Amino acid sequence: MSQKITNAGRTQSNTIECLNISEKKVGLFVTCLVNTMRPSIGFASITLLEQAGCTVEVPELQSCCGQPAFNSGDDEGTRQVAYQTIKQFEHFDYVVLPSGSCAAMIKKNFIEVFKDQPEWLERAKHLASITHELLSFLVDVCHFQPSDIELDGSYTYHDSCSGYRSLNVYEQPRKMLSKVKGLDHKPLNSHAECCGFGGTFCVKYSDISNEIVAEKVENVLATEADYLLGGDMGCLMNIAGKLNREGHKEIKALHTAEVLAGLAPQILGGKDAS
Amino acid sequence: MNSQQNEQSRAKIFSAIKAAAPTVTMDVKTIQEEALEILKESEFARPKLLSEDATQALVLRIEAGLVIGTSCEKLSTLADLPHSVKQFFGKHSLPHSLKVQGVEQLEKLNWQGISTDSDIQQDNTVGLCWAEYGVAETGSFVVHSSADMPILLNFLPLYLIAVIPKSKILHYMDDYALIANEIAKKAETPRNMCLISGVSGTTDIEGVLVQGAHGPEILHLIIVEDQ
Amino acid sequence: MQANRPEDFSKNVSKALAQPDLKKIIRRTTDKAETKRAEAVANFPEFENARSQGQKVKDHTIKYMDHYLAEFEKNALAQGTVVHWASTGEEAAKIVLDICRQHKAKKVTRSKSMLGEEIGLTHAFDNSEMERIETDLAEHIIQLAGDPPSHIVWPAMHRSREDVVKLFREFHTDPTYSEEITDLVRSARRDLRTKFLTSDIGISGSNFLLADSGSSCTVTNEGNAELTITPPKVHIVTAGIEKLVPSMAHAVPLLRLLTRSATGAEITQYITFHNGPKRPNDADGPQECHIVLVDNGRTKMLAEGMEEMLRCIRCGACMNHCVVYKHIGGHAYGSVYPGPMGSVLTPHLNSLEVANKQTHACTLNGRCEDVCPVNIPLPKLLRSLRAQSWQKKYEPLTNRFVVQSFAMMAKRPRLFQLLSSCGVIFMKVFSRKGWIKYMPFTSGWTRNRDLIEPESTTFMHQYKKMKKAKSGGA
Repeated sequence: MSQKITNAGRTQSNTIECLNISEKKVGLFVTCLVNTMRPSIGFASITLLEQAGCTVEVPELQSCCGQPAFNSGDDEGTRQVAYQTIKQFEHFDYVVLPSGSCAAMIKKNFIEVFKDQPEWLERAKHLASITHELLSFLVDVCHFQPSDIELDGSYTYHDSCSGYRSLNVYEQPRKMLSKVKGLDHKPLNSHAECCGFGGTFCVKYSDISNEIVAEKVENVLATEADYLLGGDMGCLMNIAGKLNREGHKEIKALHTAEVLAGLAPQILGGKDAS
Repeated sequence: MNSQQNEQSRAKIFSAIKAAAPTVTMDVKTIQEEALEILKESEFARPKLLSEDATQALVLRIEAGLVIGTSCEKLSTLADLPHSVKQFFGKHSLPHSLKVQGVEQLEKLNWQGISTDSDIQQDNTVGLCWAEYGVAETGSFVVHSSADMPILLNFLPLYLIAVIPKSKILHYMDDYALIANEIAKKAETPRNMCLISGVSGTTDIEGVLVQGAHGPEILHLIIVEDQ
Repeated sequence: MQANRPEDFSKNVSKALAQPDLKKIIRRTTDKAETKRAEAVANFPEFENARSQGQKVKDHTIKYMDHYLAEFEKNALAQGTVVHWASTGEEAAKIVLDICRQHKAKKVTRSKSMLGEEIGLTHAFDNSEMERIETDLAEHIIQLAGDPPSHIVWPAMHRSREDVVKLFREFHTDPTYSEEITDLVRSARRDLRTKFLTSDIGISGSNFLLADSGSSCTVTNEGNAELTITPPKVHIVTAGIEKLVPSMAHAVPLLRLLTRSATGAEITQYITFHNGPKRPNDADGPQECHIVLVDNGRTKMLAEGMEEMLRCIRCGACMNHCVVYKHIGGHAYGSVYPGPMGSVLTPHLNSLEVANKQTHACTLNGRCEDVCPVNIPLPKLLRSLRAQSWQKKYEPLTNRFVVQSFAMMAKRPRLFQLLSSCGVIFMKVFSRKGWIKYMPFTSGWTRNRDLIEPESTTFMHQYKKMKKAKSGGA
């Protein structure tokens, strides 16, 4: 179980005992942004989970975690989406998402909308208990370390707010990335400061979001790292989108899973895209 | 004051509170016990002092520069106080004039060569007061209002000297709260109880700290060992 | 400077973002506050325990609020304090002015009180025959400037030294001609000293109300609270009912949290307990003491299950660490209380209809909750207000349509997958060299940043194809 998190620095020991991971069924919820914009993150997730010894299934009737509705205050809309998600995933031993915010949505927020529905509340609680963010799952539950992965250069890491604050995702990606040969870490100033994505916030309050991400971009560029890594598509799209708009081609944004699964060379070599 | 409106508002507030949580107990004993339980955590929820000895902890705190604008010294006997005060005047190039609080133990000292009745309504004066207590945790001295203690004596002068009897130096703010409780039980609660932990200060202009905003700029604590 | 209205939030934000130096000015205060708070917490290993204890003190008092209010009233009356009750801010302001008029007051001095701002005392006095004199240095500055406050701890943080130089030269009777901050402070000291001593009535706020003694506690640094309260014949305290704690011993844990969270200092220089009017032989002190206990939406918070917000001890840490506040500043919120705590409070003190936009101007990142000394779950409360807003249909129609459409699709996974695939095709039309600079319906995004193009076809499409191929090949 987790140690108490202090404000003076996140200290955590999230190790959960898991024996015989290969006998457990892991359901992968790829999330709508990964599904639409960056499938390689989904495939990287499968690769890593299988390398860690998991048996992975991807339920086809998956869609979205419901954050857009929840964050807008549409509790009924959230419930409608949650019914689907719960039904699709509750029978797995573990449910894994390559996104801190989507994992946090299921782990922390489904129970918020079922307060008046005791049966669904129980099912939501159960789903919450088996749901994990990908990178923390690999380290804390599977005790996984990548091997034989090489990537030359340096990376800086943006911690997504939900991953960092709600789910204690901090050490785990860094631990795994330290095993990537040739890759150095250049710490990001204000690494856990919000990037201004915030789901619907970035379009509703586009100008404030712009100011926030502009500051994040300044901090990212100041590291002079080759790669911007993170565990959340929303944040990465936001920061990378701003980097590109400002004409900065010198730093490429990747999801940590892509690097750990050895997909970086192919993604970077492929096109102009970050 | 419209007392009818007052009664109505009072009733409205109480009924709104009740309506929000109708099942909450009003059993006073339970409430008091719960309240006391919370205080048991204080021991683990407060900072360590710089020494186990309260006086030493207070002195160390001041000497470490943790109490704004404050210096301190120890005197073995109260009779030496006027001499210390003269040295204070010398250090700050001040005329030998101050306002001594009108308490017997200070008034009866040998103030020869020093004028002791400055008008503190003028600015740039020196005040001397007798503290009821000291608190090591916060580097404070405590004054209580009374016939002998005009509270303004602690606020109007630019320079303030506070005399703290060593035997009245407490470890923690919690210790002072216990004393305040005892005083209340005797129905002797004064109008004001002031915990003063340094000089008047402000950071309101561009975040820059300035001492002596409206109150004292320089504070000197004199701990007297035979008191 | 005209006060912004909360309902003009979007306009206020545009105005704020257009101000060239605003970010620099805000950061001058918030950067220091963040650093100093972090240092204070690092130097206090027992901080988490203190937070837990502080939260318990508040939750306990809130749970038994009617008991403690009755206790407070009984004990305050026993001390000789006159206790007044006000359901609304307007009522509270009227009570204060009535007391002043009964005493034929011409001049009133005020020490800093955000509750006083909340109930509109500033406005009420300025529209009266009485002279209002602010004595807290920041309040003094904004009084001279005619500004509303922009922060609950540093209300004048938006004013530079140059501004203060100009104001003091214009308004002080014996101003300094130096531009040194020390000299500016001295100028204010000189200007206010006689005013303290000749005021008719001293009005203060309260940081804590102690139920077992009927006392009020002020927590300050300048000494202006005591100088405001002691000389005049009458002392009036205005305080929200949530300021209650059971006793001095219960205030102590909160004192340990308050200053560290607000400014990073371990304690403020002046912690004073005010226990009623002058005792018969007291050397100084007011002859009369009044306390105005104010509801103004606090019982509403209890009724709506938002009682956690009543834990707030007004330290300002949430706004110092809020990524949105740090970019738009306090005035944009259009309320006495800005930032995260203000976005939860204002809908209750004012109305959700007027102040719902602020609840959406938040990324729900949770830093505020992280630094709150009493663990208020600010993101959860803000989202609850969004849910209320949604029920009441305050959201613009287009927003509702988009969100509802998305949810409608998401609950039908097959349709969702189909539409996602269509979306990919649509987006490819607009992409150039891997990026989308413009696309219909996405101006909120593409106005300021590029949109990465979809990698290829959707994950589910590729995955199904892959599975089919595997089973076909097997």
